[in-house]
Amino acid sequence: MEGNIAILGYGLSAIGPGIGVGLIFAAYINGVARQPEARGMLQTIAFLGFALTEALAIFGLALSFVFR
Amino acid sequence: MQLVAPALAAAAEATTPGDPSVPILPHLGEMIFGIVVFAALYFYVAKKIVPRLEKVYAERRAAIEGNVEKAERAQAEAQAALEEYKAQLADARGEANRIREEARQQGAAILVEMREQAQAEAERITTSARATIEAERTQATAQLRAEVGRLATDLASRIVGESLHDSARQSGVVDRFLTDLERSENAGVTSR
Amino acid sequence: MSLGMLAAAGGGEGFEAPGQDIFWWPLFGTSGAFAVTRPALVLVISAVVIAVVLTLATRRLTVVPGKGQMLTEAGYGLVRNSIAREIIGSHDFLRFVPLLFTYFTLILLNNLFGVIPFFQYPTMGRIAFPLVLALVVFVIYHFLGIKRRGLGGYLASLIPPGLPGWIKPFVFFLELITYFITRPVTLALRLFGNMFAGHILLVLFITGGEYMLLHSHSLGLQILSIPTFGMGVVMTLFEILVEFLQAYIFTLLAALYIAGSLADEH
Repeated sequence: MEGNIAILGYGLSAIGPGIGVGLIFAAYINGVARQPEARGMLQTIAFLGFALTEALAIFGLALSFVFR
Repeated sequence: MQLVAPALAAAAEATTPGDPSVPILPHLGEMIFGIVVFAALYFYVAKKIVPRLEKVYAERRAAIEGNVEKAERAQAEAQAALEEYKAQLADARGEANRIREEARQQGAAILVEMREQAQAEAERITTSARATIEAERTQATAQLRAEVGRLATDLASRIVGESLHDSARQSGVVDRFLTDLERSENAGVTSR
Repeated sequence: MSLGMLAAAGGGEGFEAPGQDIFWWPLFGTSGAFAVTRPALVLVISAVVIAVVLTLATRRLTVVPGKGQMLTEAGYGLVRNSIAREIIGSHDFLRFVPLLFTYFTLILLNNLFGVIPFFQYPTMGRIAFPLVLALVVFVIYHFLGIKRRGLGGYLASLIPPGLPGWIKPFVFFLELITYFITRPVTLALRLFGNMFAGHILLVLFITGGEYMLLHSHSLGLQILSIPTFGMGVVMTLFEILVEFLQAYIFTLLAALYIAGSLADEH
């Protein structure tokens, strides 16, 4: 076996954000289903939260390229 | 941090910029290209494409608003026509009501008049009957008075003319008087 | 190669799995900071194509749209109404529509170039381009915020109102990192990462299938190449979806960041 252990690190770093993004959009869908007229406001919050959460996974990706 | 910095530095040193081995280090030439192309496209889009599209949006909105206005006008007209129609209907209804009311009033008036007339007639008939009766009574009273006077005079002359101690005669006179009276009464009845 | 072990299991010796180097493609000048590379050429072509197509599509605009106009207006309406107006607000979204529309079309077409034959190179798989696009947003939203409140006011506005005093420095520090590092870096890296990984996956399936079919000498592997190509097709369709999604998300987040600097509250 040859390869780069940093890839595993990226895989690990993607777990948390994966769950987090899922939670955010679950809450967003829930909110829109309950109150469709609040969609605009919820969309803003949901995507800001999504961007922030996904940042962790993206940092993992970046670092997996740096540490080789 | 003390891990990242040397790693980054090593990566940067080991490779020329844009080298494939570190894909997250940007290639300077590509960055310049990117910014120039992006700026050029942005200005083209901002100056030419978006104004055209916005113009269409404005036109469309104007058209839609025009249509809406037209529709509103038509609706207002229809509403006015409906109002007018309703007003006419109400007028007609009022008229009919008025006529009916008038007729009823007239009927009532006629009824009252008729009743009054009948009453007056009845009154008149009663009055005339009463007057006739009164006249007959007066006549009868007058006749009776005259008769009674004559009879009394007769009786008195007879009584004075005959002898008072002739009781037989006397009783005969009374009998004759009564018969006469009866007869005259009978004659009075038949004469009536 | 980090993906070597994957391919080694399937393809036997001699198969070189695609790696990061498939993106390094200088056309003029073999290396160095100013080599004209293939993605740069693709980017120029994409910009020219966008300009020409949009010009042709908007040359005779009518109130009742034709087919080409309908398509253009669908894209424009998506950016204008669902993204810009919804997020920035109907007051001053029109200023940013050209920017957002440029982002959307440029990123979308360059992403689609990843699967369009003869181009087949997702330009945004080179970090330089998404980084430039993210830096433009970065400069714009900071500029707007500082212009609106002044430098001190802008920095003070990073702290959400209604926090107890002792926590403010920490929150300020976090928000500073968010605004100055996390936002531009993630904006660039999200687009880059999606395109980069998706393209590597595509190339892996296609070259792997080709190797199994043509260069391996066992019948089993040659038969196995059929589902591999099938996966390549499926991944291509998936890539198209991801490409649309990434263009949309980039535009959406750019609008969100701009709106955050324009809004009255934090």
